[in-house]
Amino acid sequence: METKGRARGCTCSVPGTLILLLIYLAYLALGTGVFWALEGRLEWDSSRRFQRDKWALLRNFTCLDGPALDSLIRGIVQAYKSGALVIGNTSSMARWELVGSFFFSVSTITTIGYGNLSPHTLAARLFCIFFALVGIPLNLVVLNRLGRLMLQGMHRCARRLGGALQDPAKARLLAGCGALLSGLLLFLLLPPLLFSYMEGWNYMEGFYFAFITLSTVGFGDYMIGMDPDRKYPVWYKNVISLWILFGMAWLALIIQLILSLMETPGESCSCYHGGSKEDFKPSSWRQGPDGEPEPHSPPPGYHSEETAEVIQHPEPSIHTVHHGKDS
Amino acid sequence: MPSTGLCNCWGGRVLPLLLAYICYLLLGATIFQLLEKQAEAQSRDQFQIEKLRFLENYTCLDQQALEQFVQVIMEAWVKGVNPKGNSTNPSNWDFGSSFFFAGTVVTTIGYGNLAPSTEAGQVFCVFYALVGIPLNVIFLNHLGTGLRTQMAILERWEDQPRRSQLLHLLTLALFLTLGTLVILIFPPMVFSHVEGWSFGEGFYFAFITLSTIGFGDYVVGTDPSKHYISVYRSLAAIWILLGLAWLALILSLGPLLLHRCSQLWLLSRGLSLKEGGSSGTDGPPRPQKIPISA
Repeated sequence: METKGRARGCTCSVPGTLILLLIYLAYLALGTGVFWALEGRLEWDSSRRFQRDKWALLRNFTCLDGPALDSLIRGIVQAYKSGALVIGNTSSMARWELVGSFFFSVSTITTIGYGNLSPHTLAARLFCIFFALVGIPLNLVVLNRLGRLMLQGMHRCARRLGGALQDPAKARLLAGCGALLSGLLLFLLLPPLLFSYMEGWNYMEGFYFAFITLSTVGFGDYMIGMDPDRKYPVWYKNVISLWILFGMAWLALIIQLILSLMETPGESCSCYHGGSKEDFKPSSWRQGPDGEPEPHSPPPGYHSEETAEVIQHPEPSIHTVHHGKDS
Repeated sequence: MPSTGLCNCWGGRVLPLLLAYICYLLLGATIFQLLEKQAEAQSRDQFQIEKLRFLENYTCLDQQALEQFVQVIMEAWVKGVNPKGNSTNPSNWDFGSSFFFAGTVVTTIGYGNLAPSTEAGQVFCVFYALVGIPLNVIFLNHLGTGLRTQMAILERWEDQPRRSQLLHLLTLALFLTLGTLVILIFPPMVFSHVEGWSFGEGFYFAFITLSTIGFGDYVVGTDPSKHYISVYRSLAAIWILLGLAWLALILSLGPLLLHRCSQLWLLSRGLSLKEGGSSGTDGPPRPQKIPISA
């Protein structure tokens, strides 16, 4: 297994990543379909029931009194909690339709968990648990690969710069800063502009949403594509999903950087030393508990060795799951 | 970092780290409370006033009024105001809840039943999370490592008689099972009892929490019609931390334990270790020893 992982790690080029990405997408599609099938009807029912209650109330209580109002409120809140948006025609993000289910799948296995949608049938809940059990490690593998690709790009830049500057250390520092800044721009500072254009939030709200999403905290107090009064173009949600994927890999790198800075306060400069500390666990902070307990000091041939670890790392959880089910 | 450094710091560095961690959580709780409480009170008052005005004005409802009212209720709900009952509901941003909120931020659970609504609160939340998330990871790692050093006996098993190996294994298995029972199974039962959920719901809540997904459809201590003891939510936050650390331990120890089991089994079958090693490829994902220097 070890040698296999190492070999895969060395040859991990674009085709492997592509296949993995395809599996990932297929898995997401599977989740989308199942959630759609399981939850759609119930949600439709609860929405229907709420409408019926509303009209019954309108007929019966020509003048409302306090308790009746409270019961109305309770009904509204209950309906809102169970995912049925209660005003007029709602956008598809808020329902168990294809787009909504897909977004729910994404938010589940990335552990963002917005909570604007959540399963309510027993079957869907059970499926959700197992979906997450397999999906979260899978998501980690994908994020690891993406993060490594980003780092490889950064190293390539550093090497090219090093050739130009004749000072490898300086070039590395420059490339690191460049990558940091461009990532910051691309993933955290520019998307809020898109959000403020599309959703009508101010810049700060957009930035807050971006960070809460990418750090996988995911409160769900701000959600994209939820305003029924606005028209969203088709590409919008797809672009957002891509942004989430790449942005999470990038933010995981950043948080990994902070992590290594925190664990080794003395050698704060060494984080740019080839960036190898971030290399092997760009997203393990999320899974942190079972991740590697400490950042290793970078060995000379870190690339092959740590790529093996990258692939290996998320697998224990998969295996544990299987073993747990077997025994 | 060499692993010896880690073992040394379990005594020397974990306690300060623990203190720093708790202080950080407390700091976060205080600042969130400071920033959010007034805004929350304001929006709650506004909601009450709107409700009263609604009752005065619309003696008979029409559809438009109702839609408007629904909108108001939903906005209130999104902002974290509980529209049921009256304004004497306990605040969402009291200390225990703020603590709980800080916990959900740094563990990236993010239930979302509470979320900062002021701009200052949001900005602070971003930077709080930026520092808090790595801190949380380090803390959990240290907890896991500290527990794992107790298991360092596993490393020295080769030179012990088989009977004591078996005994160790059994003790370890018992310890792990008991811990899982106490930390992962028992609290969901308590939560379901207190909150009036079914056990399935309690388990679902526990999973969604400990996997750090945190939808927020089930959150402990949010039912306004129930009276909780004051430390209930803080206890829940502590349970979350314990559970996460325990999961860390299980996930790092489980493969090792399984590997040892299979080795023992193969040894008792009289097979050579070499065959055991090669047949271990489909079983344990990490056959190499975890580098703990005991």
